Amino acid sequence: MKLGRRKFACLAILSGGYDVPNRLRFRPLEHGTWRILRGLLLATAAAIAVPALAQDQPPQSSSDLQALSQDDHNWVMAAKNYASTRYSPLEQINTGNVGQLKLAWTFSVGPARGQEAAPLVVDGTMYVVAPYAGVYPNRVFALDATTGELKWWYSPKPNLAAQGVACCDVVSRGLAYDNGKVFLATLDMHAVALDAATGKELWVSKIGDIGTGETVTMAPLVVKGKVLIGNSGGELGVRGWLTALDEETGKIAWRAYGAGPDSEVLIGDDFKAPYDWMKGKDLGVKSWPPGAWKTGGATAWGWISYDPELDLIFYGTSNPGPWNPNQRPGDNLWSSTLFARDPDTGAAKWAYQLSPHDLWDHDEVNENILLDLDIDGQTRKVVVHPGRNGYMYVIDRASGRVLSADAYDAVTVYDGVDLKTGRIRPVHDKDPLMGKVVEDICPAPPGAKDWQPSAWSPKTRLLYVPHQHLCATFKAAEVGYIAGTPYVGATVDMYAGPGGYRGEFMAWDPVKRKKIWSIKEDFPVWSGALVTGGNVAFYGTMDRWFKAVDARSGQVLWQFRGGSGFIGQPITYLGNDGVQYVAILSGVGGWPGVVANAEVDPRVRNGALGFTGATQDLSAHTVGGSSLLVFALAKENVEKPAVAPSAAPPPAQPGP
Amino acid sequence: MAKNLRTDKSKDRRRAIGLALLALVLLLIPTRGASAQGTPPPGVQPAAPPPILPPPNANIGAQSYSGSGGAAALLGTPVSPLFPGGVGLAKAPAPNMNDKQAALRGMQNFTSFNCVGCHAPNGGGGMGPSLSNRTFLYGHDPANIYLSIYQGRPNGMPAWGGVLPDSAIWDLVAYITSISKAPSPQWGTTVSATKPEIEQVPAQYVVTPRPWDATEAFSNGRKSNANFGRQP
Repeated sequence: MKLGRRKFACLAILSGGYDVPNRLRFRPLEHGTWRILRGLLLATAAAIAVPALAQDQPPQSSSDLQALSQDDHNWVMAAKNYASTRYSPLEQINTGNVGQLKLAWTFSVGPARGQEAAPLVVDGTMYVVAPYAGVYPNRVFALDATTGELKWWYSPKPNLAAQGVACCDVVSRGLAYDNGKVFLATLDMHAVALDAATGKELWVSKIGDIGTGETVTMAPLVVKGKVLIGNSGGELGVRGWLTALDEETGKIAWRAYGAGPDSEVLIGDDFKAPYDWMKGKDLGVKSWPPGAWKTGGATAWGWISYDPELDLIFYGTSNPGPWNPNQRPGDNLWSSTLFARDPDTGAAKWAYQLSPHDLWDHDEVNENILLDLDIDGQTRKVVVHPGRNGYMYVIDRASGRVLSADAYDAVTVYDGVDLKTGRIRPVHDKDPLMGKVVEDICPAPPGAKDWQPSAWSPKTRLLYVPHQHLCATFKAAEVGYIAGTPYVGATVDMYAGPGGYRGEFMAWDPVKRKKIWSIKEDFPVWSGALVTGGNVAFYGTMDRWFKAVDARSGQVLWQFRGGSGFIGQPITYLGNDGVQYVAILSGVGGWPGVVANAEVDPRVRNGALGFTGATQDLSAHTVGGSSLLVFALAKENVEKPAVAPSAAPPPAQPGP
Repeated sequence: MAKNLRTDKSKDRRRAIGLALLALVLLLIPTRGASAQGTPPPGVQPAAPPPILPPPNANIGAQSYSGSGGAAALLGTPVSPLFPGGVGLAKAPAPNMNDKQAALRGMQNFTSFNCVGCHAPNGGGGMGPSLSNRTFLYGHDPANIYLSIYQGRPNGMPAWGGVLPDSAIWDLVAYITSISKAPSPQWGTTVSATKPEIEQVPAQYVVTPRPWDATEAFSNGRKSNANFGRQP
């Protein structure tokens, strides 16, 4: 440890210091005088335009997003709705006719890198974002959602060096929409607002610095007029945060850090820790070696949900840095933690650390599905969180207390979650002591499930979970901090878990706390899930199959061979022609897929932070791609007329 | 050409500090499993040989190739193989090409400067491209690799010239040249259900500047069999 600190100090000086900001030091971009002029022009235009619009449409407010999310013509946020169910009541495509699903149109988004984004559909227009590569990185396209006609595209000013600090492919998980604006967060730390109708840039805000190793890969979410964005970089010793920008101006309203003093984590008087061990002042400083929280990760690169009734947002933080846990004794709060915050101020209401002193890169940024479940005769408002650590958590979303946590995949490194204390129990025989080769770490560093989001059907009351099934060999080693470079300190080699398969698509009952059915896949299931009122669940595989299955039984009803593997998020919507469409991007990549879409050697197992070992044969099945695929039934196969949006009842479940 | 084109004193000072600190850093690297002369493990074996770690080298930071290897001396290095009119440019040779310890020192640098985080153990690639084969977009000659490290490259390779002394970069070049010597049964690359046929014994079992000397059958995503028989 002594060595580590000295090395740390030297390298910090060499690299110009690691002056991690203690305050908001980022400002909207300054473009000079013309920008002011442009602002005046825009304001004038808006003043003229608003009364004209008001005649045709009801006045728009931020609450419209909630209403739009319940109109099944649309898919206005990556998770479909604030409860993050990825459920659409549409039933034109159903178990009886999904076998007739045909390709309607396709579109190429450009770079053949990992396509993880969810397309959005708002009022007949589809918005989709490409990965950060090539001379038009993170290009945004607006397409007619019915015909596929291109309306406009927008490309941010490129800064391709950002690719060098992105840990796990140069992906984007999607855009956000509100009030006639499309919001883009670029890999190189810019937030951009675009006019949804024209693609015109409305504002640009620099929200971070790739020189510190931070990037953005997550899909922003708009809540009450604020664009919520979190950084990535838990593998580069960045200091994690979630930030809120005013959707009209791009100005930062608040920033909540994932570690550090309470004043910067935004833990105040109304914070209630669900368990005693998380009570105390400045635990985000004290649960680390001196100063280590400044380079300790706890980023917010995953999913955000929102409960309008409790007026709380929910999201999780990443692993602590470095991976080598011997360099950071302590609980490392608030890494691998689920936060509930006030969306107006960012103030934390509660926080629950799923993996204190994480040993295995078990981030907890995965999706949080907000449900009202009948548990032991009571209706409980819960968060269902499929943990990366392999446990399916059901958590009271008002208090943060764990109601249940059950393993849903092979787990060798934990021995359950103590429901009295809320603490997970690590298996100490597996502790990754410095230099020791520890075998059969299950789940592997990407966990039993990574970012790929689940879907919940209120009809079947089952959660559809795409996930991987991997174990790993792990060897910790000393690592020095050099700003803007990886801060990992582990040699990892992953491989297929028990049984030899590497992925699974399963239906889980969170009340009965058990797996109802399962489809084993050769490769990790790295795509998101979708489930519909037609009782069809959709997901894609890395070896190029896009599948529709019966949500009740798991029987595969239809599959389509794509041009490249699927790691995207399927969505569904009604076109202007009354036809139900299903869309997903094809293009393998992400952490498990760089071995097939980039210059990564499949014969060197420790590549891609050890993921190469587990997917080294992927490029014998697929290479990178960049196609948006949109499917529909032929007219003669549609049994029922489309449900008119005004007649569509709001979903009985999911919750808010 | 002048030996040293730099006139910026602060940069010289920074590099001098860098050199001193590098020496300090490398002196602090713990001495583990001292083994003889960096002998590579024997050839194709499913059972891995014991790990080989670099011998301590107290002179590592003070090693100097001044006058022959500076970036300024490499201004004439071509990146393109196309020479209009057929008039070529000469590539400068590596100043440490006869130093058998250079690759071992480079291996240590590869870890100390977090190269390993992007390019992965044994240069398998990940965040950055692999270095474990002969594909080098910006040239595979020692001078090309030196300049890629010194200057950085636009798609994400950081520019290390302000931090690392020349000798440290040349040692990295020696290591990278060593790990890039993949077996090459043909001119191009074929991938299929049965190719590739081999993989390296993974780095958690063998630490060596010559990882292609220890290979095993390709595992298709299943566990490496390199540790069979050596389970605790």
